[in-house]
Amino acid sequence: MALRSINLPGIGTKYELETEKQDTIAVFFLKSGNIQMYTLQHGCQTPSVAELSAPEARRLGSILTGAIMEADRESVEFAFSALSDLRITIHTYLVGKTIAGKSLEDLQIRAKTGVTIIAVSRGDKNIINPSADFELHEGDTLVAIGESDQLRRFEREIMVT
Amino acid sequence: MQGIVLALLVCLLLALITKRYALPTIPFYIIAGLILGTSGLNLVGGDEISAFLTHLGLLFLLFFLGLEIKPDRIWKNQSAILSSGLIDLNINVVIGFLAAFALGFPLVDALIVAAAFFISSTAMAVTSLIENRKLLMRESETIVWLMVFEDIVVILILAFLGPQMDHPLAILVKTLAVLAVLYAVIRFGKDQIIWVLKRDDELPVLLTFSVVLGISALSVYLGIPESFMVIAFGTFLGTIDPVSFEVQSRPFKDVFLVIFFVFFGITVNLFAEGISIPALLAISLIAVISKYASGIAIGKLIHRNSHSGIEIWANTIGRGEFSIAIAALYGSAAVSSAIAFMVIVTSIIGAFVAKYSGKIGKILIPPASSVQKKQGEN
Repeated sequence: MALRSINLPGIGTKYELETEKQDTIAVFFLKSGNIQMYTLQHGCQTPSVAELSAPEARRLGSILTGAIMEADRESVEFAFSALSDLRITIHTYLVGKTIAGKSLEDLQIRAKTGVTIIAVSRGDKNIINPSADFELHEGDTLVAIGESDQLRRFEREIMVT
Repeated sequence: MQGIVLALLVCLLLALITKRYALPTIPFYIIAGLILGTSGLNLVGGDEISAFLTHLGLLFLLFFLGLEIKPDRIWKNQSAILSSGLIDLNINVVIGFLAAFALGFPLVDALIVAAAFFISSTAMAVTSLIENRKLLMRESETIVWLMVFEDIVVILILAFLGPQMDHPLAILVKTLAVLAVLYAVIRFGKDQIIWVLKRDDELPVLLTFSVVLGISALSVYLGIPESFMVIAFGTFLGTIDPVSFEVQSRPFKDVFLVIFFVFFGITVNLFAEGISIPALLAISLIAVISKYASGIAIGKLIHRNSHSGIEIWANTIGRGEFSIAIAALYGSAAVSSAIAFMVIVTSIIGAFVAKYSGKIGKILIPPASSVQKKQGEN
């Protein structure tokens, strides 16, 4: 897998990747803010092209990283290229019957799993940095941050029980 | 004043139509100018206000060019830039000069026509690569470096051509001194400039507008090449925060450049200058053919393939903003009308050829012969 990037004056930045099966994928971050993605099958002459807006590209990115994407459950993973191996995932969860009525302190989320709840969305209100005694209701959406292992433990131990 | 408003409204209407069909806008602005102005209905004429606004258009075009110039990046890619650029320069300047001379332009005028003949429109090349989704082609990088080379030539032309009131050596010394002072100011004032640019009030846009006008006024006062200074200043500021300066100056560039193009058309007189329309058409078609020659030569040299040459040709046919700038700065009336005509014809043909380059390539160089040639090479 060979990745090369180049800055094209007037156009933007180009990333080109040749896969093991010799297909080519090229991504251009245009100066307009849009992104053009070219895919070229090995042995083919004309590429197919999609032009994406920045939010669409981010969405595509999180699908490609393997995160689960559903309407009420989706996640974004950040990798910091300057800090090796630091990958942080932000995931949303829908509060079901099992944990409704409990506070964050009751659930011992951080102590048990290492995951931090950074926001709760209830109806059309958002609560940022909920305090420990914050009580969850059925239908709330939790925004949880942590490493993907921690989030998996959170799903197993907190959300399911 | 009413004239400017009328011209702008016509341009707005044209922009709506051309953008809808992904056509280049520059030729249509010039055509609008020709129809409204001296060559056509004579509804709008140039005055002091329009002259000032067109001057602003030119200044911001040049400032933008300066922001885009990254000396270190050019240095790193010099072989890619030089190899194709020199072919492009030699073929097109020679053909352009001979064509202009044969049509009866005096020596100096023929050289100016040759310069405008050589320089393709960077804006049109970039837009056509993006709009026609051709960025993945190997040729697109070659085209981009070709445009960088042509931009450098524009800068050299602007630096050395101009009204010289002083001894050339005195101008050079003064220019270098001012550049050194500007560089020092930007170097040591970097933190203050960044602080201003980060604000979200009127300060960043006020700073951008006034420094561009300030450099222009200073250059005129000192008698040093104004266009060159504006570009150089843009390049210096580009080392601090090119994106922010681009964002701040874009609205000025967009509006004043439209005025620049339409008033260029308004002031050009296509019919009164002794050069017949067939002759203008001839030089415009030669301009298309000449880029074909250079495109094929570059394609064969760099990609070892004539079809690459077709793609390079297709995206470099259109002459545009810098050809007009050269005409506006240095051209006599006859030169300006020739360049206006050339820009209109080449940019419309160029837009068409770039869109259908695949089919046109197959007609011009039938695939069968190219297969045979490849086998022969192997």
